[in-house]
Amino acid sequence: MLEKYKKEFLSQNVQFILLDEHGAVTESDDEIFKVSSGSLLPSLHPFFESIPSIDDLDENALDFFCVNLKFDNVDLIVDIKVKRKKECVLLSITDFTEHYNSYQSVAQSRNESIIKTELTVLKNLELEERERFKNQFIQNFSHELRNPLTSVMAISDILNDTNLSTEQVKMLDFLKVSAKNLHLLIEDTLSIGMIDAGKMNIQNKRFSLKDLFDLLSFTYGNKIKQKGISFNFIWDDKLPTEVVGDRLRLYQVLENLLNNALKYTAQGSISFEMNLNQKWANKASVRVKVSDTGTGIHENNLSAIFESFNRVETDEKIKGTGLGLTIVKNLLHLMGSEIKVESEKNKGSTFYFDKVFEYQIGGLKSNPLLEKPEAQKTKPKKNSKKYKVLLVEDDESVQLSLFKILLNTKQFHVDLAYDGNLVLQEVVNTNYDCILMDVNLPNIDGDQITRLIRDFPFKNVKNIPIIGITANAYPENIQEYIKAGMNEVLVKPFQKEAFLETLYKVLK
Amino acid sequence: MQKSKKVVVLGHFGVGKTSLIRRFVTNSFSDNYKVTIGVHITKKVVEISNENTISLILWDLEGTDKLDTIRNAYLLGTHGLVFVFDVTRPSTFEHLNNDLDIVRSKVPNTPLIIVGNKSDLVDLAELDVLFKKNSLSVDFVTSAKTGETVDDLFLKMATLLNEDA
Ligand SMILES: Nc1nc2c(ncn2[C@@H]2O[C@H](COP(=O)(O)OP(=O)(O)O)[C@@H](O)[C@H]2O)c(=O)[nH]1
Ligand SMILES: [Mg+2]
Repeated sequence: MLEKYKKEFLSQNVQFILLDEHGAVTESDDEIFKVSSGSLLPSLHPFFESIPSIDDLDENALDFFCVNLKFDNVDLIVDIKVKRKKECVLLSITDFTEHYNSYQSVAQSRNESIIKTELTVLKNLELEERERFKNQFIQNFSHELRNPLTSVMAISDILNDTNLSTEQVKMLDFLKVSAKNLHLLIEDTLSIGMIDAGKMNIQNKRFSLKDLFDLLSFTYGNKIKQKGISFNFIWDDKLPTEVVGDRLRLYQVLENLLNNALKYTAQGSISFEMNLNQKWANKASVRVKVSDTGTGIHENNLSAIFESFNRVETDEKIKGTGLGLTIVKNLLHLMGSEIKVESEKNKGSTFYFDKVFEYQIGGLKSNPLLEKPEAQKTKPKKNSKKYKVLLVEDDESVQLSLFKILLNTKQFHVDLAYDGNLVLQEVVNTNYDCILMDVNLPNIDGDQITRLIRDFPFKNVKNIPIIGITANAYPENIQEYIKAGMNEVLVKPFQKEAFLETLYKVLK
Repeated sequence: MQKSKKVVVLGHFGVGKTSLIRRFVTNSFSDNYKVTIGVHITKKVVEISNENTISLILWDLEGTDKLDTIRNAYLLGTHGLVFVFDVTRPSTFEHLNNDLDIVRSKVPNTPLIIVGNKSDLVDLAELDVLFKKNSLSVDFVTSAKTGETVDDLFLKMATLLNEDA
């Protein structure tokens, strides 16, 4: 048996050819292909053109593996041995076409998958880079918006206090709402920037998950029903009511999801659920879900919806910044969770995530429903004294609007300084009750001037209350200004009330 | 008899070696990727100047990122080398200088042309930056797809080999 196969193998797969010293064929057994004696092999296939001539060969055989040959209509993959014999060259050609073809298909799928992985990784890197660049650009841009927006908001407030017709009041309200939206947008951008730059810290404090759920169900329940959409909310009683986590950020995530559902749903229902996946030791995995019967998202767009400013399938009637879902994604990522989405065009969407919370078994109910109410608002001082205020600000629109606000109260004398260098001179010459100091000033920055003032030898100068005004809204910026000696810091844009409140707070 | 020169085309897999040769020899292109195994050999006669022709025997080797494993028999008697990388895949040129050292040590004193292929997929201005960043000195930037500078590349090789002989 074996002998038979061996013979079959040898006879069918190997061809021997002898060449003379000029490279012409003298003999061939033609097992694989036909060659007439006297012919030159290079005319058959260019492979043979580059095999060494007899003078260049030694006794050792040269092995060429896996050579693809094509004659007429046959594709062959062969191993070729070239060996010098006395006055001639012996070629042995073994046909391994089948064997090599199966190897080819293995190599094919291997190489394809390596290349595919490589390109996917590259594409992701590119997307991340683009996202980072975009966010940076928007950060810078929104920073620049803070000054003009401050004056829009301030002037609207001033207008509000003048005699307006009903029509004008209506228009002013529009103006205010738009300004507020713009303001929210800027704050959202800031959040994204902070997450991106790793500046957003996630708190781990005990809070009532149940209360948070109730609060959101209540507020959104009302909004949703007002739109004529039905609202279901499901709280799983197996969930711990109190957990450890970042209430504020979780609130931000849920608000964005609920807002989104509300925005993109015209009829049908919206549901908000918290269910227990599992509990172990002192941990609980919670499935949080917001689903709607809204416009839905086409399958092809699902991956893009979490990119910032990427409002896929934009419906011009629906207002939005396209930042909400980016914030959701990034915040959840920070909290060790991941937003998931299932959606069908024109049917609706379901957003959900699983979040593991630590909780105390049998934990006491402690934190009240809401965060502490804001500190009692400071009322304007009711006395006849006029305060002297030095306003240091180089942006003219902000300057003008603050000036107006201050004068309108009839309680202030206001001096202006454009340039940081003039401030020191001014504070020595005049007894000011307060300095309103922009941080970004030409020549010398506001926080530096503050340091210089705090180092003054004269008590009356040294202790002047200073309120910083800044477009730099990162917490670390604000801390730095407070450390420099500012009593308070206002972030642009701010509203008239907040501004006056802060001012009255620092005045003795 | 006509001069004939063996030119070996090498580089990582999928960079477009086969496609470059195909574009040069048959002036065609396919988007389908068929992995080359072993070696394919084709021939093309190149006219360098009037009645001065040279025939290039092009050895299209199976792509590999481990150049030291290329069989010596394949490289025996090589007159010219073309090293191809893919400008869209950093893995194919990240270690280019190292790869070239290996090639040069295996086949010393042989003209070597370095080619960045698939130029149709990238911005040419970006390429300059890329090459500088990776300190690559590239002789030709080609596209087997559009045919851009493919003929130039092989003509250059033919000219070098003609001078050599
Ligand atoms: N866009 C583009 N694709 C190319 C180019 N050259 C080759 N390809 C594609 O890249 C893949 C690999 O090409 P191939 O010639 O087989 O690469 P090899 O492994 O180096 O021989 C194939 O899908 C080709 O269609 C090019 O210049 N431009
Ligand atoms: Mg190939």
